[in-house]
Amino acid sequence: MTDVLLPLSIAVPIVAATLPLALGLRYEDVGWPVAAVTTLGLVGSAAAVALEVYTAGPFDHELGGYAPPIGIELVADELSAAVFLLVTLVSAATLVLSRAIGPRGNAFHSAYLLLTGGLVGVSLTGDLFNLFVFLEIVGLTTYALIAADRSGASAYASLKYLVVGTVGASLYLVGVGYVFLATGTLNMADVSVQIVEQAGYTDPLIRAGYAFIVVGFALKIALFPVHSWQPDAYQRAPDSVTTLVAALVSTASAYALIRVTYSVFTVDFLAANDAITTGVLLVAGVSILAGSGLAVMQSDLKRMFAYSSVAQFGMVAAAVGIADETALLGGVVHLVGHGLMKFGLFCGLALLAAGYGARRVEDLASLARDAPFASGALAVLGLSLVGIPPSVGFLGKWYVSLGAVRSAGATGGVVGIALAAVILASTLFTLAYVARVIEQLYFAGVDRGDAERGVADHGDAGGHADGPARDAGDAVADGGSGDATAPGTVPTAPLVVLVAAALVVVGLGFAGAGFESLLDPYLSEVFA
Amino acid sequence: MTEAIVQDPRPLLAVLVSLVAAVLVVASYRSPNVREGWTILAAVAKFAIVASMLPRVLEGTVFEWTVVEILPDIAFVLRADALGMLFAFLASGLWIVTSFYSIGYMRGLDEANQTRYFAAFAVSLSATMGIAFAGNLVTIFVFYELLSIATYPLVAHDETPEARSAGRKYLAYTMFGGGVLVLAGTVMVYWLTGTVAFTAGGIEELASADPGLAMLAFFLLAVGFGVKAGIMPLHQWLPEAMVAPTPVSGLLHAVAVVKSGAFGVSRVVLDVFGPELVFDLSLPFGFSAGLVLSTIGAITLTAASLIALRKDHLKQRLAYSTVSQLSYIVLGLGLFGWYGLVGALLHIPAHAFMKLTLFFCAGNLHVSTHTDYISEMAGIGKRMPLTMGAFTVASLGMAGIPLLAGFVSKYYMLIGGIRMGAELTPVAYYLVGALLLSGVLNVAYFWPVIYTAFFEAEDDHDAKPLVDFPMGGERRSTLAATDGGRAGDDAATDGGRTGDDEVDESDDDEPDVEDVVESAEVGSDADADGADAEDTDPEIPEDSDIPDAETDDLPTDEEGVVRPDFDTSDRDFSEPAERVDTGDYAVDASPSDADVPFGVGRGGAGSTGSSDVESDDDGEGDIDDDGTVSDHDARHADHDDAHHGGPPPGGWEHLRGLAALRGRESTWFTLAPILTAMSLAVLLGVIPYEMGFLELIELIVDTRLPEEVARP
Amino acid sequence: MTALPAGSAAHAAFDVLAGSPVAAGTALDVLGTRHAYVTFALLLCIGLYMMIANPNLVKKVIGLNLFQTAIFLLFIASAYVEGGAIPIVYSGGEGPYVSPLPHVIVLTAIVVGVSLTAVALALCIRIYDEYGTLRVDTLRELLREEGSLPAGPGLPGGESSGEGGDGDD
Repeated sequence: MTDVLLPLSIAVPIVAATLPLALGLRYEDVGWPVAAVTTLGLVGSAAAVALEVYTAGPFDHELGGYAPPIGIELVADELSAAVFLLVTLVSAATLVLSRAIGPRGNAFHSAYLLLTGGLVGVSLTGDLFNLFVFLEIVGLTTYALIAADRSGASAYASLKYLVVGTVGASLYLVGVGYVFLATGTLNMADVSVQIVEQAGYTDPLIRAGYAFIVVGFALKIALFPVHSWQPDAYQRAPDSVTTLVAALVSTASAYALIRVTYSVFTVDFLAANDAITTGVLLVAGVSILAGSGLAVMQSDLKRMFAYSSVAQFGMVAAAVGIADETALLGGVVHLVGHGLMKFGLFCGLALLAAGYGARRVEDLASLARDAPFASGALAVLGLSLVGIPPSVGFLGKWYVSLGAVRSAGATGGVVGIALAAVILASTLFTLAYVARVIEQLYFAGVDRGDAERGVADHGDAGGHADGPARDAGDAVADGGSGDATAPGTVPTAPLVVLVAAALVVVGLGFAGAGFESLLDPYLSEVFA
Repeated sequence: MTEAIVQDPRPLLAVLVSLVAAVLVVASYRSPNVREGWTILAAVAKFAIVASMLPRVLEGTVFEWTVVEILPDIAFVLRADALGMLFAFLASGLWIVTSFYSIGYMRGLDEANQTRYFAAFAVSLSATMGIAFAGNLVTIFVFYELLSIATYPLVAHDETPEARSAGRKYLAYTMFGGGVLVLAGTVMVYWLTGTVAFTAGGIEELASADPGLAMLAFFLLAVGFGVKAGIMPLHQWLPEAMVAPTPVSGLLHAVAVVKSGAFGVSRVVLDVFGPELVFDLSLPFGFSAGLVLSTIGAITLTAASLIALRKDHLKQRLAYSTVSQLSYIVLGLGLFGWYGLVGALLHIPAHAFMKLTLFFCAGNLHVSTHTDYISEMAGIGKRMPLTMGAFTVASLGMAGIPLLAGFVSKYYMLIGGIRMGAELTPVAYYLVGALLLSGVLNVAYFWPVIYTAFFEAEDDHDAKPLVDFPMGGERRSTLAATDGGRAGDDAATDGGRTGDDEVDESDDDEPDVEDVVESAEVGSDADADGADAEDTDPEIPEDSDIPDAETDDLPTDEEGVVRPDFDTSDRDFSEPAERVDTGDYAVDASPSDADVPFGVGRGGAGSTGSSDVESDDDGEGDIDDDGTVSDHDARHADHDDAHHGGPPPGGWEHLRGLAALRGRESTWFTLAPILTAMSLAVLLGVIPYEMGFLELIELIVDTRLPEEVARP
Repeated sequence: MTALPAGSAAHAAFDVLAGSPVAAGTALDVLGTRHAYVTFALLLCIGLYMMIANPNLVKKVIGLNLFQTAIFLLFIASAYVEGGAIPIVYSGGEGPYVSPLPHVIVLTAIVVGVSLTAVALALCIRIYDEYGTLRVDTLRELLREEGSLPAGPGLPGGESSGEGGDGDD
């Protein structure tokens, strides 16, 4: 009966999304309880599904009782269960954060629930077109949430994201259309069979279809040449929204890329189409370099870590393109790990922004003395992002680089070797911007007496930029003040979550063997 | 030797004990005494744990403890074998010594952020133990990275711009070495062999792997670890890291951190590739991987010694000496043969004892007299007899004088080099030549320090020709003229050197170099120009008008200067080097590069960083300048404002006999560690077997060399 | 999406109801002879060009709609079966039918597209309220003055909404 959990996990949050708005007509402040209860239920459901998958193996659910090639199928396998778990946990944690620092309105919680439902849908669906629908649900709610700030700037950032994101999803749909033309089916498992039977891996339609799909996802994931929507969107969104979006939305698209590449097109397709694989690897490598380079140049913290996402997803894309079992394991581990780390980082930044008005690197000067726990967690998460062991960031990097070196050694291609070098050197690139933050936090050498004055000044100066934005956003989206916390303190509950996230990130660093044994059935099936 | 493997958690405990201590240190930040108590307790406990394993390790037992399987087939495993014991025993033992010294040093200077300092120190030691006991490449990598992170707060401790810049550089270099090169090498080894476990004598599969790839993996690993060992193109971080407090320079940048690099190289040579394979991986022109490694070492040790010759800042000179001495180890590891390896490994403890002594001495000079520059040390021997005595002994050891630690290790390496040259390849003779040459260079850069400290007087000494003065030297004085009346004579020509505030004023006259210092000291220097007139002593010669220096009432009596001044909170070596002669020498017009790392280029940064500290001093400075100077105030200002050392007006106090023996030159917190470290250096030279080190090393080498080159 | 070009000799007859697709490997021929697909490509390009080149935000949204419509056309065209009946099965009705699956897909996609357009227009209204303009260039200037966009050197990200399209395959 566990399979009923799959449709319920998607339907319940989407249906529940109407409740805050409906009940909001009668009661105030009903959004958070509804969202909290729903999300807690989702966490339980995800745990049950994961338990089932990792003990008894993958299972699926046929929606409406129609058999898969025609009917829509929901699949929980080792990969989707991991992402499902990540989505629900991070969503729940974000709810704690948004409770403390806003937004708190009913509309926010409706959108939040829709987003969660969409993300769960993306991670569970086994149907290509259904995936498009969920991607669009995720996209739509993300656009709305980013604009929840109610400022012109956030609306502009959101519109920019909307256009780019829609083009991305549409290109994906074009790709799906091509594949559908060639195979006549949309069920993922069926497509992977029909590609061989009806078209073959070098069929132009299949190739074009995959190319469209990859480009579409690249837009959604924000890989380098097409990343430009992301920094603005992350920077302009309210802090809680940034946390959620940075941790999950691009992650879901990257998951979809892995899923479509390996479950639908399969590794044989990649082997048969060198040009496409090389293209993916090039984009990935350039993403790693350019993302890190741009991140170093930023002084706005949220922008800095937005560019960092470009680089880190470059790593995941590289893992996809390498088409090596170990590299793909690394890609999945990094996908999950990056979600956790980015959640923690943006959560920490949100707390420091709420408590001390720190929005730029220089505002962090010597904050470690006032906010030791938040700073410490930020430092740990940052170092994990760099890939310092023991941490989940290191695990991902280890597997991806091992896979890269192995495939570079096996093929000897220039791109492969260059990519292996870039992946190995990515430590330094990441360090370049993380070290800036840590240095400011701990070694600015500022007397906090002075610094507080300084920060206050900065806060005023920089506040004008997003001042109206935040005020308006608070007024409308929250129905209350956004910064309810007293200045100079960090709210406790999200702080606990943040520290927990840091500990989990470090703890998972010891779980390499666990990751491998859990994901092994999926990998060996994909690379059979 | 049979290797009996015993499952025992003691290696893990040795790692954990200081991690726990770090937590306790942070928790008890309110009470310095409790905090330091934890540090000492952890140090002693750690040493006890390590020492308790020593007897059985000497019998060939290996203690092993698997913590968790971090990656499939790769356990996070700690094992105490002989090689690991060598390093762990050394580092944990010296940590006790350093802990006491740290307390004396940090309290003596009244440093800020002491809690962070002690906590980071404890974590660093955990990481060091982890490196020593790591059972495979991944585990060592974990701790290697952890060590980089844990040491960073110590390097950037001052929170001044140049400390931050040094920290940045440190992180960049070590992360490049660790996070990039070592990781790449580890990945390659894993890919080539499917294992990363350390195996005495080398991983077998590597011998059958593709030689080109094996070579690549070897150099990735060797250079990756070599970064921390300061091999030459990648040594830059080490001298810069000398902005750290001296105990850090002493234990970490002469023992734990840099030795972890050298230790990593020895693990790679001995336990990953094996000495035989390292020698067999051949390159064109009769070179092999091992010889290339040795050659890099030889080049580094010669070049670093030459650079050290021209460093006027004592810690800088020691840093380059460290770079050079570490290359002995790297050089020796590349020598294929019993003697070479024994010599290389023995140099790890030998250099540790000697260099620790030297750094402690430098730190003690800093704490007690604020003297950092060799050119200011004329006659300092009579002020700090014990310190400089220990310094002398240790530097003799560095040069390889018999009966001291350095001799034994160099002796082995020389034999190893000659035998290798005779039996295998003539290239080894060049290495022998480099070793001998460096012995001479060692004398050349340590002798001036000893000579100037003991055999020269502050009012009459030679310039050191190789540092920043014309060849042939220059007679001059660093003694403060106590009155302007002597402006004309030779004491006056040297003026400027005296009290520290005079130094500052002299800076006024040289805006190109030092004005930044001034701008920071707004209070005292705003009127410095005006004050010149009244407050001055014999000034820089350009000020030849030095009107009435007599009005100055700087203390001329001894009691004003004798007591070490403990309330200063500045660290002076962050400031530009103060020239001995601020005036009329040609070199001053075009300063040599001798002091660049702490000098001209970094002056601007330095002054801003210390500005708030200095602003504290403004009050006193004002009093000073208002002419209401009491002796006390003047002296206070002397040491506070002053970022420069040198003898006080009237010359160094002469401590004799009993006073010296009672440790009046400093505190026993610092003196005892100095003397301990020095005694260890002597003991290692006299009874290397009884100290356990040589026995351990022979055990290590015996188990790793093939039959035909085994112990003669 | 109702602009269903009639008369194309359909060939991509996927008898999806029966669950066994036919016409494997002939997709290439299909592309060569079908103007529906040519129209699809044209609309796609026009839409993309509007999104990139037109400075007016609302017109960008219109371009977006064109772009999506092109995709609907692709699906509908793919569903066409020559001589096929509407896929509503009377009892005892006889095939061939037009493939119903693409129709379902397009219906769903239209819903998605409508909601997207709604959100986009709402955002446009908000931007217009705030800045009084819908032109991207003016808007960016205003934002820069306001400090919301990094004005400084070397901070890309003001790359406009151009997404570079399918550059990497």
